[in-house]
Amino acid sequence: MRNSTKWIESKQRRALILLGAGALLFAAGGALQRWVTGLPFDARIIGGLGILLLGVGLAQYLTYRIVRGDEKAAARKRSEELDERRVMVRNQAGNRAFWVSLVMGYAGLMWASFASNDQLPALEGNTLWFFLVALVVIPFGVYLASYVRGINEG
Amino acid sequence: MKNMLEQMRTQRGWTQQELADMVEVSRQTIISLERGRYNPSILLAFRLARLFDVKIEDLFLYSDEEVYDA
Repeated sequence: MRNSTKWIESKQRRALILLGAGALLFAAGGALQRWVTGLPFDARIIGGLGILLLGVGLAQYLTYRIVRGDEKAAARKRSEELDERRVMVRNQAGNRAFWVSLVMGYAGLMWASFASNDQLPALEGNTLWFFLVALVVIPFGVYLASYVRGINEG
Repeated sequence: MKNMLEQMRTQRGWTQQELADMVEVSRQTIISLERGRYNPSILLAFRLARLFDVKIEDLFLYSDEEVYDA
């Protein structure tokens, strides 16, 4: 068995694990929401994570399923994913996203510090949620934009 | 960095995709290399040089004015 086929199979196994974990979390979130009352958190957080993992797992599984059995296509897929320029672009995108999240996190800490001294309004309720969501979504957006820009450059 | 990649590839009648498949990188990387907008790792430079059966310095043309731009 060629290296590419083995590589595709290992990627598919990983995608199946993601799919399984996603299905499990989605079911657990649904069950908690339906049958358990008085939870100290919103069960949709668990179900939402499950949906995310299901989506990522399914997309990955189908991507690798298409090239499985075709050694040439599998080798090309492997080359593209392990491509040194692509790895460099991914690393640069990750670096940018890291700095954005660091600055945002630090700004949040500063805000909380000022708020504890009544210099700024406290981060609570919806504002806190929006801030936390932004803390996740904005660095992810920066990562994606940097990645797409880097890949298309040159 | 300037290089002779495009000339050597076309001399052999290979497409960018064929060359990419031979050295196990993406076609986009070959395009970037040919345009001189990406400097390869030492491993890829060796792989390309061996494939074309030339020395690295005959394939990649280093000049002292090269600016490091990662």
